[in-house]
Amino acid sequence: MTHVLAALNGDVTKAGKAIGLAMGVGLGALGAGIGIGNIFSSMIQAVARQPELRGELQGIQWLGFALTEAVVFYGLLGSILAYVLV
Amino acid sequence: MKRLLVIAALALAAPPAALARGEFDPTTEFEQHKWIPIHLGPLDLSITKAVAYLMIGTVVTIALGIFTMRSRLALLPDRRQTVGEAIYEVAQTQVAEQGLPSKAIGRWFPYVASIMLFIWVVNLLGFIPLPLTGERWHGVPVWGIYAATSSLSVTLALALLTFVFTHVEGIRWNGPVRYFKSWIPEAPKALLALIVPLEILGQFMRLISLSVRLFANMLAGHILILTFIGLMFILESVVLAVFVIPVAAIFYLFEVVIVVTIQAFIFAALSAIYIGSAIEPEH
Repeated sequence: MTHVLAALNGDVTKAGKAIGLAMGVGLGALGAGIGIGNIFSSMIQAVARQPELRGELQGIQWLGFALTEAVVFYGLLGSILAYVLV
Repeated sequence: MKRLLVIAALALAAPPAALARGEFDPTTEFEQHKWIPIHLGPLDLSITKAVAYLMIGTVVTIALGIFTMRSRLALLPDRRQTVGEAIYEVAQTQVAEQGLPSKAIGRWFPYVASIMLFIWVVNLLGFIPLPLTGERWHGVPVWGIYAATSSLSVTLALALLTFVFTHVEGIRWNGPVRYFKSWIPEAPKALLALIVPLEILGQFMRLISLSVRLFANMLAGHILILTFIGLMFILESVVLAVFVIPVAAIFYLFEVVIVVTIQAFIFAALSAIYIGSAIEPEH
């Protein structure tokens, strides 16, 4: 964040790196957001149709949630690596 | 609206010198300083912050297990025993029975249950302030939050356990030839040259995905809280506290209530699924 401020003083490379990091995480979050939305909407539909299956579905739901959510963190990790190494 | 304007005006007018100057760098929270250096040849076994947290986590996990599940069990469970039974039931029905085939539950239920409990306790310890930051303020230890699972070495070691057990169990139940043959899916011969390396790569990707998921979740949670509180120091204004502390508290609650439990559950469930699929390959 201080690097964004630093750009005002002419340090453009740092600002570029900061923007790159934010873009990487943001695009990852976009994909994961769509995925998690899909999972929960399917869960709601499934439980509305067959409420007795709720317990069984819940395990699968959280599994899918964590698998999808991890995508953001792969993006975050890659972005941080690029930010630190480049 | 009027109140917001007043707050904004105050925030801008607040003296910058009120807070410590200097660059705010959240990564310093995750540095490992060697408190007790131990070197065995090329191995560095020094006691660091993460090691201290892991030790506390181990003790608390064992104590929790003994306290809730092993002592003074009654036919009419009291509250303590109900908690223990709830944890046990999640470990049994949601984790072990979902992934492991019934012939292997007896052997591998203890592993997946204890890894779930251990990761849960270590994650939770990461959100309880402890005087283990290694910094001192006028001789008094500074209290802070840090999770051992936000260090990649810790999660990678845990993932390696699952990785090794998966293949050992696969070979033990099926024999090496049948087990490694099960990695080769049914496909036209021409495609196999493409698919088999991908399958082998996929086995190692499990190691990465399992460790990075837990590591990055905990790291991101801590950085999020730190950054919001750190906004006060970046913008050098105390008045921002009225905004940043509630937001940080919301993220803190989100992490403690949801993320901590889910990540422990997921790690154990995936371990069970991986071990189970090695014992009973589909092909």
